[in-house]
Amino acid sequence: MLNAQRIRGVLFFLSVAVFFIGLPFILSFALGYKFNPRTFKFTQTGLISIKTHPQGAHVYLDSKLLNEKTPVTISELLPGLYSVRLELEDYYPWSMQVNVEPRRVTRIEKVILFSTRPNVKQLNQRNASFFYFDEEKKNIYYFNREESIIYESDLEGEKFKEASVLPDTFKGVPKGLKLSPDKEKAVVFNSDQVCILYLSLKGSLLYGHPPFVLSYPGQKIIQVFWHSDNYHLFLVTDKNIAVVEANPKPNKVNLVNLNSGPAGLFYDKDKDILYFSDYQMGTDGVIYENIYKLELSGKSYIINNEVKSRLNGKE
Amino acid sequence: MEKNNSGQRTLEIIPGLISWGIILTLVLLAFIKPVSCAVIILVFDFYWIIRTIYLTTLLLMAHHRLYREKSKNWLKLCPENNFYHLIIFPVYKEGLDILRPSLEAIKNCHYPKNKIIIVAAFEERNPNARENARVLESEFRSAFHFYLSTFHPDGLSGEKRTKGANATWAAKQAKIFLNEQGIKDEDVILSCFDADTCVNKEYFGCLTYHFVNSPKPHQSSYQPMPVYNNNIWQAPSFARLVEISSSFCQMIEGMRLEKFVTFSSHSMSFKTLVDIDYWPVNMVSDDSVIYWKAFLFYKGDYRVIPLYVTVSMDIAYSNSFIKTIKIQYKQKRRWAWGVENFPFLVNGFLNDRDIPLVKKIRRGFHLLETHVTWAIWAVILLFIGPLPVIFGGVFFNQMAIGYNLSKITGLLLHFTLFTSLVWIMLSRLILPPRPKGVSRFKNIVMVMEWFLVPFIILILGSTPALDAQTHLALGRYMEFNPTPKSKKVV
Repeated sequence: MLNAQRIRGVLFFLSVAVFFIGLPFILSFALGYKFNPRTFKFTQTGLISIKTHPQGAHVYLDSKLLNEKTPVTISELLPGLYSVRLELEDYYPWSMQVNVEPRRVTRIEKVILFSTRPNVKQLNQRNASFFYFDEEKKNIYYFNREESIIYESDLEGEKFKEASVLPDTFKGVPKGLKLSPDKEKAVVFNSDQVCILYLSLKGSLLYGHPPFVLSYPGQKIIQVFWHSDNYHLFLVTDKNIAVVEANPKPNKVNLVNLNSGPAGLFYDKDKDILYFSDYQMGTDGVIYENIYKLELSGKSYIINNEVKSRLNGKE
Repeated sequence: MEKNNSGQRTLEIIPGLISWGIILTLVLLAFIKPVSCAVIILVFDFYWIIRTIYLTTLLLMAHHRLYREKSKNWLKLCPENNFYHLIIFPVYKEGLDILRPSLEAIKNCHYPKNKIIIVAAFEERNPNARENARVLESEFRSAFHFYLSTFHPDGLSGEKRTKGANATWAAKQAKIFLNEQGIKDEDVILSCFDADTCVNKEYFGCLTYHFVNSPKPHQSSYQPMPVYNNNIWQAPSFARLVEISSSFCQMIEGMRLEKFVTFSSHSMSFKTLVDIDYWPVNMVSDDSVIYWKAFLFYKGDYRVIPLYVTVSMDIAYSNSFIKTIKIQYKQKRRWAWGVENFPFLVNGFLNDRDIPLVKKIRRGFHLLETHVTWAIWAVILLFIGPLPVIFGGVFFNQMAIGYNLSKITGLLLHFTLFTSLVWIMLSRLILPPRPKGVSRFKNIVMVMEWFLVPFIILILGSTPALDAQTHLALGRYMEFNPTPKSKKVV
């Protein structure tokens, strides 16, 4: 036991010695100091932290290749200007002049290295003149002009299928494609026509008629938005903002007359509010550019009920 | 314990005040001086790593000693002697399923039974006490030299409902009986065991050997190594890990003789017990305070001699995880209530003129440091460690130390993984053989369960000690709350 106590005594003093010898080095390193064994002095240093995406880039500091790859922390650097260059095979190199300050960390942690061979993949299987990206269903809808067909696929180009066919009465070059919030219908429009298509059997059953085209000659349709009720459409033309029902013989109501085609448009689909810009001549004869807010949610409840009752009738 | 004395109250407040003072100062520093806070955290982390490595080395040495002395025939080494062993089992709610294996273990000991006297010390307030006493007497009366049952009356003046009060009553009854039989106090070696304590076959041989060979046998306590092997294969991982760690802590303490204090089941001279007027009848931590009483009585010339034989106890657990945590928490808080020894000891020192001042300072500081460190270490490592980075703001995070703090802390704490591997290995070595009916798969579980350690530290690391110190500082004294033990889970 006595012997064990002697060993313990040695261990204890060894531990105390390791603590008091090691502690200054740990603290000085943590605080950004470097011990110079020649001069027996601590020098102030700084450090650089580098993170890249993707990881594993070679790091050149003042043209000298370091052993470590990213992510890396280069510590015990004397204050001053350093050139940092990051290289990774098949990626564009990245370089920067970095100022290292004493006892500070310079963070280069948001570096994205871009591939020299970008990963581009063709998604469409037919010619696509334009496409609509559905964030919720993670689908892509694209329009083939030659066949007047809308195709649908997932985001990898898989699950490819025909979604709908435009009627012959729809003429000219389509300008845009929008899906209704319930994803049952789509609207394709050109300068003076709006075509309503059904993307599923349920959609056509609901309304009881095939795809149809609404024509508005003499107007230049700029944009079309679906109301959240999936039934009303808002047409923004160079002359006005109108609301129409998505049926072959719709009522059309002019909501706002415009002085020119709006330069900016945003439709808040959650609240059914349309933000648009227009010119307005003031009483002083000066033309002002204004932003307007048009709330369109008023009739939605009633319309929704109508749609539901029709659906129940079909079922 | 006197409650109204202002000096006493001041001493009771000191441990909690220091622990909370350190914690709150560090939290405050994390906001207003994050660099200073980070420096203190790094110093503490490094200290903790060195300490862990040092203590693990001691554990290895203790384990080696235990392994080496495991197969010794201690009785053969003992010279002729006239000593009797008086074994007191203070019992409260423990049933026959707990007491019977403990008495069986003594009965099966490799030691002459005509030298063994058993006292089963029941609490009068336990309605089953008389019946249990009758059953045990009928089973064990003939197995030992004498077998006594005592019944501690409830509500004696000046007493609290503590284990010490029961043990004191039993020891006084035993003294009367022994003296009537012509057995002198100095010829009796006393062992006070928790009801679930199952001794190793060599325990009394080893104890007698050390008692006989000790230069001052009456000025020594004798501490076996507590292990919790009785139900270790059945207990859930959480409880098993906690108790294995407790065993290891005791083995480590056994290597630090100058700090070693009695804990749980242990032995001492009966004469000394009588001389120091038995256990305090109003303190919860009877197992450690009896050492300090003897230490003060003998003017600092009192020690604890480690016995490298095991006594095995039950792991307290329940079939519900939450209940197990609660049971373990309460048990650890009761252990941490040993902080009540600090005012007791300092009061003793203040009234003493013979113990050297250096010894007083050293022992008082050790006691205080142990309890304060217990109350703060996990809080600093787990909760305060990340605070400077979280609340230090942009400026701190642009500093080298802001960047290095978490990296160095992480690196340092990884070193503890190596010590954890040693603990895992040793935990396998102290295991009793796997009982029939327990799957081999349990072996894998028992290694993998060490991943629970961070979770255990989170719950049982510092909180019970901080809780106990806060209660003591606020004068909200703890009642003795025995850990419920049963061979069937609670």
